[in-house]
Amino acid sequence: MVAGPGARPGGALTEGASGSAPSTESSGGPGGSPLLELSNVEVTYSGVILVLKGINIIVPERGCVALLGPNGAGKSTTLKAVSGVLKTEEGLVSAGQVRFAGERIDTLAAERTVRRGILHVMEGRKVLEHMTVEQNLVAGGHLQRSRDAKESLELTYEYFPRLADLRGRTSGYLSGGEQQMLVIGRALMARPKLMMIDEPSLGLAPLMVEEIFSILHRLRQEDLALVIVEQNTAAALALADYGYVLDNGRIVLDGTAESLRSNEDIREFYLGLGATGERKSFRDIKHYRRRKRWLG
Amino acid sequence: MIQLIEYALNGALLGLLYALIAMGFVVIYRASKVFNFAQGELVVVGAFLVWFFTLDLGLPLYVGFALALIGAAIFGLIIEPLLFRRLVGQSTFSMVMVTIGLLILLRGLVLVIFGPSVRPFPDLISTAPITFGDITLNRGLAYGGIFTILLAIGVSLYFSRTRPGLRMTVVAEDHQIAQSMGISVRRSIAYAWGMGMVLSTLGAVFYLNGKSVTFLVAEIGFAALPVALLAGLESVGGLIPAGIIVGVAQGLAAGYIDPVVGGSFSAVFPYLVMVIILFLRPSGLFGWRIVERV
Repeated sequence: MVAGPGARPGGALTEGASGSAPSTESSGGPGGSPLLELSNVEVTYSGVILVLKGINIIVPERGCVALLGPNGAGKSTTLKAVSGVLKTEEGLVSAGQVRFAGERIDTLAAERTVRRGILHVMEGRKVLEHMTVEQNLVAGGHLQRSRDAKESLELTYEYFPRLADLRGRTSGYLSGGEQQMLVIGRALMARPKLMMIDEPSLGLAPLMVEEIFSILHRLRQEDLALVIVEQNTAAALALADYGYVLDNGRIVLDGTAESLRSNEDIREFYLGLGATGERKSFRDIKHYRRRKRWLG
Repeated sequence: MIQLIEYALNGALLGLLYALIAMGFVVIYRASKVFNFAQGELVVVGAFLVWFFTLDLGLPLYVGFALALIGAAIFGLIIEPLLFRRLVGQSTFSMVMVTIGLLILLRGLVLVIFGPSVRPFPDLISTAPITFGDITLNRGLAYGGIFTILLAIGVSLYFSRTRPGLRMTVVAEDHQIAQSMGISVRRSIAYAWGMGMVLSTLGAVFYLNGKSVTFLVAEIGFAALPVALLAGLESVGGLIPAGIIVGVAQGLAAGYIDPVVGGSFSAVFPYLVMVIILFLRPSGLFGWRIVERV
């Protein structure tokens, strides 16, 4: 609780407990005035299971931050802690603080954080499956005045022309990629200040992944900050300007996207690239071969 | 032939009354996924509210009726904070058990407050039957039927076109998604109980026009269940055809089977329909089917 957001494992201790945003030169966090700040956040599920063990994350205004790491590292939990969805799953921010635009939000229910401008696009393409595409989108803009909502709808259709063609379709029967577009579009309808997207490429065809990411690149021109959780590390680091690597509920590494892209460990563990840049194949990995022989 | 038409028409009107009461049930089910076993008791409470504000207090008929509707809405709105707020995150099963508790509680309260005696019910509609040639229809049920059809259209449009209605539809789809979109699930559930209570009171008015009210009126809540199941538990518009199907079947059974078997077989008929529906098409005619993508 004492240490400010400057203190984080893997990063240099900068500015101590001042709580101000560390400068870009240090590896202490992304530059720019912070929109979202997690300081020493711990998350407990059902009162006993400690999932996040004190993490510090800063998302600057209009910035894009990627959360990387293996399954079960706590990436999705981090997003849930911010959006408040955690509370619907018997989870709790048991220590530390989450600040958004300078105000504490870790005690807010999910429906309240949305009103502050935080939109959480959950994993698994959660469309409202019995409603049409247009109803999904209109419902997404329910907090706005009706004139603004109409404008947002046009803007969303501009971003996703495919959704405009499908507007009358029942969303449960769309393809996976279309559903992913729909949930992102639905979040856009609320005109968020911060959009957090959990695994947008999960289970999608490569072409569709490309399309989704090209839309995310376009979203970066908009006046909003992005947090993206993604297994496709290369794509995520091409999009983001700063990245955090989580493992087992802790941040083990953080740095600018370029520095992470060139980081040996990241390349090895998450990108599957060797030191010289050649793509590693499972055929080169000894224990895999041995196992294969044993099985054969 | 005339008799057949009369049986069918009267059955259809009764079915539409079931549809009106089932509408309260469906509205609550959509919001909270709770199968409300206390639906019949809501009708009784609504009926007694109407009786209290009109005949007991002696207010002018329509003033009393309006006050009863307001009272019903308030009564419905406080059910969620009183009974369900603490159950957030608990299984649907425990909430359904709470509705059984509500049934017992309301029945007890009605008996304590209003007693077991039969009370007259005010006639908001003339009790003179409507006659077309040889066919006579119950005027209260006839007006109620037309009203129910219009109301079903209105409520369907409310759920699909208006923003507060869409919010409630989102809640009907998935509570977590609703919350992640900034929709208060608890408030939606509270509104749904308020709406359900108002619909039940309206049902009581058409049902009891020209009759009297006791706590036994609650049985209509169970009679309306097959209509809700046939429609599919999420569909408001589907209640109309479902109500007519169940009602006509019951009407014809009352006209042709009852005299033969010498008992009130027709009273069992809706439940028979319900069992058949559950076998053949568990999501009803118009309910939300589980989306399966191939």
